Amino acid sequence: MKKLKTLIKDNKLTSLTIVVYTITFFVDPQIFFRGLEMTKVFLIQMIEIIPPIFVISSLITVWVPPEVIAKGFGKNSGFKGKLLSVLIGGFSAGPIYAAFPLAQALFYKGASVANTVIIISSWAVIKVVMFMVESSFLGLTFALTRYALTIPIIITMGYIMGKLVSREDVLRELSNTKITYKSEKDVLKELPNMNCGACGYKSCKDFAVGVMRGEVTIDDCVIRQRAKGRISPLKEAHQEE
Amino acid sequence: MSTIILILIAGSLLGYSVFKSKEKTKESLKISRHLLANTFVEVIGVLALVGWVLAILPPGLIKQWLGNSNHFLSIILAATVGTITIIPAFIAFPLSKSLLHSGASTAAIAAFITTLTMVGFATMPIEMRFFGKKFTLHRLWISFLAALVIAILMGVILG
Repeated sequence: MKKLKTLIKDNKLTSLTIVVYTITFFVDPQIFFRGLEMTKVFLIQMIEIIPPIFVISSLITVWVPPEVIAKGFGKNSGFKGKLLSVLIGGFSAGPIYAAFPLAQALFYKGASVANTVIIISSWAVIKVVMFMVESSFLGLTFALTRYALTIPIIITMGYIMGKLVSREDVLRELSNTKITYKSEKDVLKELPNMNCGACGYKSCKDFAVGVMRGEVTIDDCVIRQRAKGRISPLKEAHQEE
Repeated sequence: MSTIILILIAGSLLGYSVFKSKEKTKESLKISRHLLANTFVEVIGVLALVGWVLAILPPGLIKQWLGNSNHFLSIILAATVGTITIIPAFIAFPLSKSLLHSGASTAAIAAFITTLTMVGFATMPIEMRFFGKKFTLHRLWISFLAALVIAILMGVILG
């Protein structure tokens, strides 16, 4: 019984679908069978496409780690930097929320608001792999036109965002947000792990325990405070190693 | 045809990867297997749900909503649907294809796909945690407008 519960919890959407179909079967069998027929058509198309996509995405993940992408990204690079931002997004794998941590890392390193927006948007929209899927379903003309329009518009969006939101706006809000962590492991992930001891704790691990107990907040980490400045000394140091 | 190209690309990349490093290839295959196992049940669920929605909606209604003679209205409607829903992009494409067949306009489909990937109500809380409220809200409305612009231009170019 408990197993069934977690099974349903893990597959909420699929469970919902099963319930919906069961009800439909009794209310209107015709719709039930029409729905199944539609699903079958979708499924056949999907089975051909999903495996190669996952293979390509995971190859990208393994061969092009985010650090490499981040390294090749200059901060005062003007239009070239904008194009590079588009490429970072385009060649990365993963859904949009996977873009936020990387974009934030670049932002702390001095990337402009405009470039940050461009990275997030192009990560979401411009995808080499997805382009292939799009053109196979909706035609090459459709996909090409959409991409040709989207790239300049994303760059324009970056410029507009840069005018509307300043770097300080974001930094101010970020230092005020209280983040709740599930475990000390989550806290540790956000820490420099240099065990500098400037916070008063012996190591970053002890500090993380302190955060979990509520003795300190994560922003009491001295290195993190400095990292919130224009250039992060911490990340710089990491790269030199 | 494009599916065959896709499979060929995946195959040749995989072959090249094996040639370069067996270790890394193994690692990447592990990731893809994981991806597949994680998403497959979910994907079937979404597909079945989409199939059900299409079965219960009379095709005339889709045409009326997304292929409206008032182009702007159907673009806005499609963009809104794309903003609210969360469907993985690779499911959105076959869905869009059948919507097109049911009479939706090209512009509306472009709006739907663009907002689906670029503007997300569901990911808003995550984005706010990384960039704060002001950045997130501004990015969302600008992206929504951008999707409308893309859709209108698509409609003009492709008719």
